[in-house]
Amino acid sequence: MTTVTGTLRASLADAFANRGSFWFQVAVMVVNDGTWIVFWVLFFHQVGTLRGWGTQDVIVLFSMLMTSAGAALGLLANSRRIGHLAADGELDETLVLPVGPLSHILTSRIDPANMGDLLFGPVLFVVAGDPTPERAALFVLGAVTGSVVLVGFLVACGALTLFVGGRGEQADLGFNAILIFASYPLDLFGGATKVMLFTAVPAAFVTGLPAQLVRSFDPAHAALLVAMAGFFAALGWATFHLGLRHYSSGSIWTR
Amino acid sequence: MSPYLAGWRLGFLRTLRSPGDLSVRIGFFAAILLVMSALWGTAIDANGGELEGYTRSSLLWYVFAAQTAVLGVRPRSVEEIGDEIGGGTIAIQMLRPVSVVGLRMSIDLGEACARMAAAFVAGAALTWLFAGPPPSATALAMAAPAIVLAAAANIASSHAFGGVAFWLLDAKSTWFLYQKLVFLPGGMLIPLDILPRPLEVVSLLLPFATMAYAPGRIASGDTNPLLLVWQMGWLAALIVLAAGVFAAGQRRLQVLGG
Repeated sequence: MTTVTGTLRASLADAFANRGSFWFQVAVMVVNDGTWIVFWVLFFHQVGTLRGWGTQDVIVLFSMLMTSAGAALGLLANSRRIGHLAADGELDETLVLPVGPLSHILTSRIDPANMGDLLFGPVLFVVAGDPTPERAALFVLGAVTGSVVLVGFLVACGALTLFVGGRGEQADLGFNAILIFASYPLDLFGGATKVMLFTAVPAAFVTGLPAQLVRSFDPAHAALLVAMAGFFAALGWATFHLGLRHYSSGSIWTR
Repeated sequence: MSPYLAGWRLGFLRTLRSPGDLSVRIGFFAAILLVMSALWGTAIDANGGELEGYTRSSLLWYVFAAQTAVLGVRPRSVEEIGDEIGGGTIAIQMLRPVSVVGLRMSIDLGEACARMAAAFVAGAALTWLFAGPPPSATALAMAAPAIVLAAAANIASSHAFGGVAFWLLDAKSTWFLYQKLVFLPGGMLIPLDILPRPLEVVSLLLPFATMAYAPGRIASGDTNPLLLVWQMGWLAALIVLAAGVFAAGQRRLQVLGG
């Protein structure tokens, strides 16, 4: 067993220790996600289609978002807490271990509530996303690349705290911005906002482009998604490791 | 100075002294306004320039006021209240010779007022940029007290909801559910007039509509003063409810250790 899978198994066991609480939080998140689906159903019921997007397209977009967000914020829950961990000096306990610090930090905490997203996203796609074999394969591809982009982006934002200080506000702002923009169809936006969604806040690679890929396959788009996943994985890794050179110990060993 | 006024002042100043947190919230607010501007602008254009009486401009001013009122209140306050009750730290607050729930709500309202003041200025400027001037100066002026009343009702309701932890000893994740009640039947995501009629009627009967829909409706140009009276009525009821839940909960609270 590798260190990463061992840490992940320990985190899962920790989250599962109180099964009642775990499943309650999962259930609450599923209800939460259901509210968004109700919103979109009501919205399209009143408005009709929106620049070619209908209810089913948005359901695919949402199932993609839930799956990616579930992986990034549920399975790798510390991806959005790098800035807070750095600000509180809590990286110490990882830095003394003979393991790659980033992979250990990412796998050492699981958020049960967001695991609800990871469970509900694929189920929603199967139930309401017209899952032909081709669409299902593209859904998996989009969810995997979207998860990698999201984790890479959140780690890079959190690592900014190592350079500029603060209490992790950069990660909070990045987290809020990417989730908001990823929750809406890409075609709603134009001009500078659309450019931003492909660059500074890469929400387009988390949901917009993957959802378009499920609607109509385009090999160039698929290749672009894979390339961007690689780019954001490298960006997160490089920003974190460069930032570590600026890290000052908090003298906190355990908490 | 009254302890509740001192609590309000403490919350207000504490929030102003955390510019990092405040700037994140303003950035978040700006992103939401940008998204909502794109969403509702496209929806209204696709429907001939009007949707259930809302124009693009009036709908974006609705979004501005509804979002300002909701984002002013700490989203996880329900969970925090539950944690303090479940963890027993509420017992320390009960040693003070003031109402626990009264002081907590005063502090939360002080914090919310600081956030809302910043959001009101930044949000009004951005909405003006995206949607043009507000429907009327009266609407904008009336929206300010409506936003404060909405936040106060939300805070009182959060305490009533979170106070359930006196019995359950845990309010983990329930804030998600509470938040969604404000989002949908409260009218934050979508104006209640746009919902199917039965859903609209049910939503208008619930208190959550006073927490987002009422200020939004006023800012969109409906300056009927009864909207403010409606908010005040529900605020009074929710304060009584929160006080009742805490009074009953405090009577049965048992804390081990010290």
